[in-house]
Amino acid sequence: MMKSLIAAAALGLAFVAPVHSATYAIDPTHTFVTYEVSHFGTSTNRGRFDKKEGTVQFDRAAKSGKVEVVFDLKSVNTGVEMMNKHLQSADFFDSEKYPIAKFVGDKFVFKGDKVEAVSGTLTLRDKTMPVTLKATNFNCYMSPMLKREVCGGDFETTIKRSQWGVNYGLEFGMADDVRLLIQVEAVKQ
Amino acid sequence: MPWLLALSVPLPVLAQPVVYRLDPQHSFVHFEVMHFGTSTLRGRFGQIDGYVELDRTVPSGWVSLRIPTTVVDTGMPAFDARLLQGDLLASETYPLASFVASRFSFDGPKVSALTGELTLRGVRQGLELRALRFGCHTHPQLQREVCGGDFEGELNRADFGASFGMPFVANRVRLRVQVEGIRQ
Repeated sequence: MMKSLIAAAALGLAFVAPVHSATYAIDPTHTFVTYEVSHFGTSTNRGRFDKKEGTVQFDRAAKSGKVEVVFDLKSVNTGVEMMNKHLQSADFFDSEKYPIAKFVGDKFVFKGDKVEAVSGTLTLRDKTMPVTLKATNFNCYMSPMLKREVCGGDFETTIKRSQWGVNYGLEFGMADDVRLLIQVEAVKQ
Repeated sequence: MPWLLALSVPLPVLAQPVVYRLDPQHSFVHFEVMHFGTSTLRGRFGQIDGYVELDRTVPSGWVSLRIPTTVVDTGMPAFDARLLQGDLLASETYPLASFVASRFSFDGPKVSALTGELTLRGVRQGLELRALRFGCHTHPQLQREVCGGDFEGELNRADFGASFGMPFVANRVRLRVQVEGIRQ
């Protein structure tokens, strides 16, 4: 009787969804935003933001989450020093005045147990506008080095920089569309 | 009478090869490789030095470029340093990679693909690069013709002996090449 009660309790427990909400810290060595912008319709200029930090709250059972990542705009890296400097000027980021860009995502769309999209806001130059990042890859794995779960993926979106008041060169044909390619991995805390 | 005869003969197409030197500010090789089947690692080689010859009347083309392997930029200095070691780029022994191609495909006046040979870590292998876009514009400062585009190709890094970290970091490497050349 006692045994069967315990068995039943154990069985019952198995059906109770455990609390899965967990905090993940962004792994800065596997988290980057790369932008792509057309150069006079000929080729694609690329740049990357190297300094960043952030956290992800992620609940696969409840299919919800929240992510907050801050990027240091002074860490923009295009491979061309003159370009890095120009991007930080008032023509583009005005990074003396607005040193960071911030993404806050609070609407996680799931397909099965994988994140398919994250919607939220991007703040740049003091303007906050909605953006949706679509996942092109998503996965969780046990890191053999960290001995912890790591979740992450690849996300992308295309924004119009003029929405954030970054209008330099539009009148002489420089592209408004900027494609963002986002690599992210976050380590369970 | 001789001039009538001359008119009836189609004019020979004159070869018009034009040489472009790569613009190092707009010529980079970006690579992408999958990390733990989860997210995409990216890095950049460049600045690249090289020449392209295009003859859009024939049409034909030729390219030769050199890619220093001593400088790679992933945004993580520790990872950059690791990439230079013997089981990856071995850049002390092989400080330069090169790409030479003379088989160009055209779609009208535009380059659509090129096939040649990549030498990396002292190993030479065939490589095809496909154009995602190709175009020409007039450089606003130099007032000279600039032609270029975006090209993509894939390689297996183990084919070149750079196999460290497999299978956690994939064998398959995707190359995304930005290139612009200034008419000489």
